[in-house]
Amino acid sequence: MPLSTQSQADDEQYVLVASLDNARNLSNLLKAITFKDHAIFSATPNGLKVTVEDSKCLQANAFIQAEIFQEFTIREDSVGFQVNLTVLLDCLNIFGGSAAPGVSTALRMCYRGYGYPLTLFLEEGGVVTVCKINTQEPEEPVDFDFCSTNVTNKVILQSESLKEAFSELDMTSEVLQITMSPSPPYFRLSTFGNSGNAHYDYPKDSDMMELFRCDKTQTNRYKMSLLKPSTKALALSCKVSVRTDSRGFLSLQYLIRNDDGQICFVEYFCCPDEEVEEEWLQSVE
Amino acid sequence: MNCVLEGRGVKAFGKAVHALSRIGDELWLDPMVRGLALRSVNSAHSAYACFLFSPLFFQHYSLGSVSEQGRKTINCKLIMKSVLPLFRCLTSIERNVERCRISIGTPDDRVVIQFFCRHGITKTHNLCFQESEALQAVFDSHLCPNVLKAPARLLGDMVMHFPVSQEEITLSMTPLRVSLRNHYEGGDDHMKNMYTEMSLHPDEFDYFQIGVESDITFCLKELRGLLSFAESHCLPVSVHSGAAGKPVCFSVEDLVLEATVVLATLMDSENRGPSQPTEMPAPTTPRCAGGLPVGSREADSRKPQDTPAMMELIASSQGSPITNPSALMLLLHQTDDSNKLVADEACVSATTTPASSMICSLLFRALSSEQDDNNRLPVLACYSEEEEEETRSPTP
Repeated sequence: MPLSTQSQADDEQYVLVASLDNARNLSNLLKAITFKDHAIFSATPNGLKVTVEDSKCLQANAFIQAEIFQEFTIREDSVGFQVNLTVLLDCLNIFGGSAAPGVSTALRMCYRGYGYPLTLFLEEGGVVTVCKINTQEPEEPVDFDFCSTNVTNKVILQSESLKEAFSELDMTSEVLQITMSPSPPYFRLSTFGNSGNAHYDYPKDSDMMELFRCDKTQTNRYKMSLLKPSTKALALSCKVSVRTDSRGFLSLQYLIRNDDGQICFVEYFCCPDEEVEEEWLQSVE
Repeated sequence: MNCVLEGRGVKAFGKAVHALSRIGDELWLDPMVRGLALRSVNSAHSAYACFLFSPLFFQHYSLGSVSEQGRKTINCKLIMKSVLPLFRCLTSIERNVERCRISIGTPDDRVVIQFFCRHGITKTHNLCFQESEALQAVFDSHLCPNVLKAPARLLGDMVMHFPVSQEEITLSMTPLRVSLRNHYEGGDDHMKNMYTEMSLHPDEFDYFQIGVESDITFCLKELRGLLSFAESHCLPVSVHSGAAGKPVCFSVEDLVLEATVVLATLMDSENRGPSQPTEMPAPTTPRCAGGLPVGSREADSRKPQDTPAMMELIASSQGSPITNPSALMLLLHQTDDSNKLVADEACVSATTTPASSMICSLLFRALSSEQDDNNRLPVLACYSEEEEEETRSPTP
């Protein structure tokens, strides 16, 4: 393959070199977090983290561990830059989105450091394309201060059961309300739209419920517009963990298997909607 | 009202909602002793559909509750846009839904539709409704001179030849032949349109009765939902019709359900009766018979007077209310066993009453004592209490 014949000398100028035999293992994951144009890339010896934020209220992170890459070389403890995610995805799909089975686009992603563009070498069927994408100063991602010790309620569900619910959500509702409780309805998604309200209840003993750990009843509302992009990550995933902490902050973690069966994670953090009024909360019929 | 449907019934119910969504933007839910009726009417009041599910269709069916003393069962009107999404994906419903409960409760003014799905998952929808009087159209299909009955498959195959965008078609019946052709308004662009016509021998139908040769033109789009429903249930479809201008009724039934679609047909210009209602002006551009593309169509044995009937339109069944009120109003007079178009009376009513109350006036053409005992309306509900007529007011 042409990409592998690059000389060793070239590599020394790069602080980060990451190669994938199948670029889809990266592009599919990035599609799950593309709700804004810009993404913050943060690479450490552990792997790559890509962060997208919206109005400081929503943050999505995609994690690709170093082991997923065929080659992952990093010459510094931490490398960070910001790129236009839409442009990056266009480049990763430069040979066309749907390839014939067995044919994949190989990727070699290289970064020389601060001030340099992100260079992508993409190859498919003997044709090589070189893309250079301008990088920007990486912004500091919001620290949602979401730590496991503050988690009050946690459930892990098989994505299959949630996918349908999310695709049916009443989009005329401004908020998505999540209720987690040790007593019925256990885990409930609610919408309040123009034609009425809807509730999706998942009992704790459902065989879709892999883990149910709820200590106290919590009901929180989140802006529907913020959570809607997470549907893409849900669609790719096989399992999802839903956690809320004492402040009502929401963490959604999606376990995604890539084309080669390797596991990657996408995580969404969301702030609760501030305008919740206690008297609005609907009770069970 | 509280009823429970099991798995397959939910899919059938959903299909009925789909069919009704092709007709109008609102869905009437009428729980009755005879069963639960779902009805819809289009804005021009030229198409009406009713799906009646008998109590046997449900796992459980009960009307009202003890606490609602003195309160009759509620008839409610829902917005189609809020109901259709619940039944949008029928394959997913088939796969996942084990049971569905529908109840209408007074304290909340909500219709509750609850789906009990696999894996213990429950989906509850509380929909706002408007309390409304029942919507009904009275149609004495047994008085129709022309009757066809065929498997849904046959009718489906007939309409399959017409593009999905085709608005109106014309059904012609003669003792020798039944034909279906598309219908375009406006003679000017006849050269740009493709004309399709297909004919069948009366023997192809399970039942064929012809009382009057006719060409009736009606809206195809509104019918497709019923045909799809009938095909999925493998039910035969009955078509009751008369002369042009009289409504045509398509119906299916089995042991536990009945479905009817009543469509207005274009008025035959030779028998043009009522003038326009004052508040609803309609296109009256006369179209010259010369616009008829006689040359591009196969010459057939159709009578010459049919040609001007086709082309000189008052209005399409899709749009103008002129035809519709008169057509539907004619129904009333039909039940008096009068063959003559009692046009003048209808005319007066048509000019003074808005279409909505026209429908209402049909409602109250209940099974009154004037009618013979052997007059049985095939599908449609009726309120036998005469005094109810006075207290009801038109649907806003």
